[in-house]
Amino acid sequence: MRQSTISHGSGSPTWWIVFTKELHELWIGGRALTLLLIYTLLLGIQTYVLASNSELSLIPPNEMVYETLKGAIAVGIFISLIIGADMVSGERERATLEGLLLTPTSRLQIVVGKFLAAATPWPAAFAIAIPYMTVLAQGDPVLRPAILWGSLIGTILAPAFTALGMLVSYWCNTNKTSLFISLGVYILMLLPAQLPGRAQTGAAGSFLQQANPMASHAHYLSKVLVNNRTLEEFWGWLVAPVVFAGVVFLLLFLYAGPGLRLEAGRAFALRVRRAGAALLAGLFVLAAATAPARAQEPAAGAQAPALDVGIDLAHKTVKTTDHVLFNTVVTNNSVQRTAPLILAMNIINLNAKGDVVDPEDWSPQRTQYVEAGLAPGETATLGWRVNAILDGDYMIYLVLIPSPTGPEATSHPVSSPGVHLTVTPFTRLNPGGVLPFAIGGPLLIGVVIWLVYRRRQRGIDTGGS
Amino acid sequence: MGQPNRQVLVAEDLRKAYGQREALRGLSFSLNASRILGFLGPNGAGKTTAIRILTTILEPSSGRFLVDGIGSDEPIRLRRRIGVLPESLGFPKNMTGTEFVTFYGRLYGLPTAAARYKAKAMIEAVGLQQRARSLIGTYSRGMRQRLGIARALINDPAVVFLDEPTLGLDPQGQQELLKLVRWIARERNAGVILCSHQLADVESVCDDVVILNTGTVVAQGPVADVIGSADQQAVRVQVPPASVAEAQQALQGVPAIARVVSTGGTSGWLRVEIAPPGECSRNGQHIHNTILEGLIRAKVPVLGFQAGGARLQDVFLQVTQGAIE
Repeated sequence: MRQSTISHGSGSPTWWIVFTKELHELWIGGRALTLLLIYTLLLGIQTYVLASNSELSLIPPNEMVYETLKGAIAVGIFISLIIGADMVSGERERATLEGLLLTPTSRLQIVVGKFLAAATPWPAAFAIAIPYMTVLAQGDPVLRPAILWGSLIGTILAPAFTALGMLVSYWCNTNKTSLFISLGVYILMLLPAQLPGRAQTGAAGSFLQQANPMASHAHYLSKVLVNNRTLEEFWGWLVAPVVFAGVVFLLLFLYAGPGLRLEAGRAFALRVRRAGAALLAGLFVLAAATAPARAQEPAAGAQAPALDVGIDLAHKTVKTTDHVLFNTVVTNNSVQRTAPLILAMNIINLNAKGDVVDPEDWSPQRTQYVEAGLAPGETATLGWRVNAILDGDYMIYLVLIPSPTGPEATSHPVSSPGVHLTVTPFTRLNPGGVLPFAIGGPLLIGVVIWLVYRRRQRGIDTGGS
Repeated sequence: MGQPNRQVLVAEDLRKAYGQREALRGLSFSLNASRILGFLGPNGAGKTTAIRILTTILEPSSGRFLVDGIGSDEPIRLRRRIGVLPESLGFPKNMTGTEFVTFYGRLYGLPTAAARYKAKAMIEAVGLQQRARSLIGTYSRGMRQRLGIARALINDPAVVFLDEPTLGLDPQGQQELLKLVRWIARERNAGVILCSHQLADVESVCDDVVILNTGTVVAQGPVADVIGSADQQAVRVQVPPASVAEAQQALQGVPAIARVVSTGGTSGWLRVEIAPPGECSRNGQHIHNTILEGLIRAKVPVLGFQAGGARLQDVFLQVTQGAIE
């Protein structure tokens, strides 16, 4: 008996069917949630560290928000990339691609459905980052532009890297190869930011930074969020992410999509080896271009005026996170008016094995000026604040430097008495109130994973074979 | 679905070359609805290439084929009329059987509810209803093969391709699956192409057979005819496995016997090929007596004797001898 043939065209479009199936595998299967759990843990740790440093006045809120956003985008891109890298080669490896290719569907629609599903972790990742940025912003107006630019740039880059992963996956027969190449490309894009400062400047360095979508978007965000610069000034740094996204989308949807096939092809392995060799050569050239900066030559000494610097504090013991206030009195004991005066503060670790102190981290007042100079017998009082960053035994002292009278002259700096500062350790468990977020975020995702698992277990028969 | 005696698959001079190497050299055959065609050949004979061409995964270098009247130049339309169980079909471990078949039903254009309904019916038809809501990751190999068949039938195909469906199954599982193959052909009126190295299975379940060797068709037709072509020229004798060499030696000396080949592995079956008429004056019955006499004289116990002759396996070995050697 001839049975009725099923009708066509009354169901959903192929891309939607593939999208919902992939979505189910990704989210209910637990892969996306597991990656997000790791992401949330990393974000929590980063937030806690940033908030702890902020309490020590090391990092202002806008910089913390920028660092968190940069981390969220970098990890979001990484998640998108590795999910994309599994999409085709994974199906080949699990022998599930043949079943799909045997259906009367468009290859392009299969690729579109897979791409859309693979791109879904990014919105979730960004949504998770928002509370962390909010708590770190501490009311700073940086939050709104951070959310705006983060969502825009991330929504260009994360799907672009998903597409890149899928393209690599399209050319690979095994997941191992696909993941290896994708991670290689990702590390290569992150690498320029890790090169020495000189390699990042100059024509080649600047080009590398601007042409690399990872580096250029980070540069743009840093300028806009940290340095309060504008889109008009730095829009050029957004070109690379947009062009990169356009190119990979075109390749995926116009080339790889319609040509999706059961086997990746044999010539690709050879091309990969050649590309790897070329990339190594490129890295070598880049490393060779970097050179150590030269040290500055010290200046010669000369005569000093009769100046005196006094301090109203001899010693103090405080806890880390506390601060110390003291005043210095500069007196002109000579019979002549002084040149403009500069008072520079320095902090020395008295423990030879202790960390070297960077006074910039300890005080917002590294240097103060008496620009008019002092008349004979005149004094100037200057206030200083020092934040106790690290526990230990320190000496604070100031150096009074009269401005040299000309390019051919120099001056004789005068040192102040020291302030002996003893800092005892103090740890706050909840710096900036971020602890609930640092712990709660991963916990929440863990609970979601458990609920999804439980719901899934209820929906299926768990009997063994 | 096709009506009996109606051609559902016609292949005309299909060829496929990979560079200089010709994997398929002019494959032509036809399949009627409700018939089961065994597709045989030693490893590397071109079976997989042929199946991949016929299922539109590969394009032929030349030639064409029709499935239910649809030409190979319309692959998307053609795929609506075929169902395939590939040899190494993978399954998503985190889906249930029903979800998996429903997904494929939707890809064939069914609305979700209809696809779910159809999937349940197919799963019931292959006897998996008890485990329909279990994750595929918990299925045994046999259950996965059944699920693969349910998936292959979701679109009511006119032709069903089954590539090594019994591979890795226990004897009971093999028998159940072959019963399912018969059901697809007889009850659903589909033409079935069965690729298998289990020649006894093919012989018991198939109506027709195509034997490929190095990309060329070396035998084809109804199973009985293909076996019959070798029927009058050979007999089968079973001796204890330990006595196979002794029996071969005893029979090689008989003038009316052309060749003695061991065919049954460890079972001790021998194929005794009789020299063509003219080379020997004895008629068939006398030759049978001579064979038995030779074995008795050599004191080789005779455990079985099939005077009616050849099995599919014998024909297979005969026509693919060059490839195996």
